[in-house]
Amino acid sequence: MAKYLAQIVVMGVQVVGRAFARALQQEYAASQAAARARGRPGQQSAAVSSITGMSVQEAQQILNVSTLSPEEIQKSYEHLFKANEKSVGGSFYLQSKVVRAKERLDEELNIQKQEQNQQSQQNPET
Amino acid sequence: QASSMVAVGLALAAAGFAGRYAMQAMKQMEPQVKQALQSFPNTSAFCGFEPKMTKREAALILGVSPTANKNKIREAHRKLMVLNHPDRGGSPYIAAKINEAKDLMDGQARKQS
Repeated sequence: MAKYLAQIVVMGVQVVGRAFARALQQEYAASQAAARARGRPGQQSAAVSSITGMSVQEAQQILNVSTLSPEEIQKSYEHLFKANEKSVGGSFYLQSKVVRAKERLDEELNIQKQEQNQQSQQNPET
Repeated sequence: QASSMVAVGLALAAAGFAGRYAMQAMKQMEPQVKQALQSFPNTSAFCGFEPKMTKREAALILGVSPTANKNKIREAHRKLMVLNHPDRGGSPYIAAKINEAKDLMDGQARKQS
C-alpha cells in the first residue's frame, strides 16, 4: 500500500515540477519579448553585450544596417570586410571590428530565434 | 508526515536563496571578468571600439606606429577614407572613427613637435 502511495506522490511531484519549469520558461520568454518590444535589450542580449564588450547598437553602427535583416547584414559585412583587407592597404584593426560586429548581430539573431521558438512552444494555439 | 514536509520546504527555500546568491555573484563578477579580458593586448579585437579613443587605438585604426609623423598619419588617413568612404558604400560610423583617430594622433604629434 505504501509503495503505491509513494509512486503516486513521485508522479505528482514530477507533474508539478514540469508544469513549474514550463511556466518559468514561458515567463522568461515573455519578459524578454516585452523588454525588446519596449526597445530595451533582454537579459540574454544584455549579458552577451556585457561579456563581448560590443552592444547590438554599436554592431549595427559599424555595419551600417538599420534593421537586423540577415541579407542586409551579410551584404554590408562582405563589402566592409573586403574594403579593409590588408592586401589593399586596409586596416586590420578595422577589419576585425567589422568581423566582431557581424558576430554580435549573428548572436542577437540567434537569441531572438530562440525566444520565438520558446514562445511558440508555449502557445501552440496562437 | 509533517516533519518531512517541513524539511522539503526548507530545502527548497535554501535552494532558492543559493540560486539567487549565485546569480547576483555572477552579475557582480561580470565587470571584473571583462576587465581581465581587456587587460590582454590580444583581446583588443575581441570587443567593440574603446568608449573613449586612446592614442593606442588611434594608431591601430590607422595602421601606423604610435610615434608616426604627420605625413604618415595623413597618408594612412587618406588611404583608409578612400576605402571606407560613406559615399561609396562605406560605414559612416567607421569613417567617423578614422577621422577621430587622425585628429587624436595629429593632436599628439603637434605636442611632440
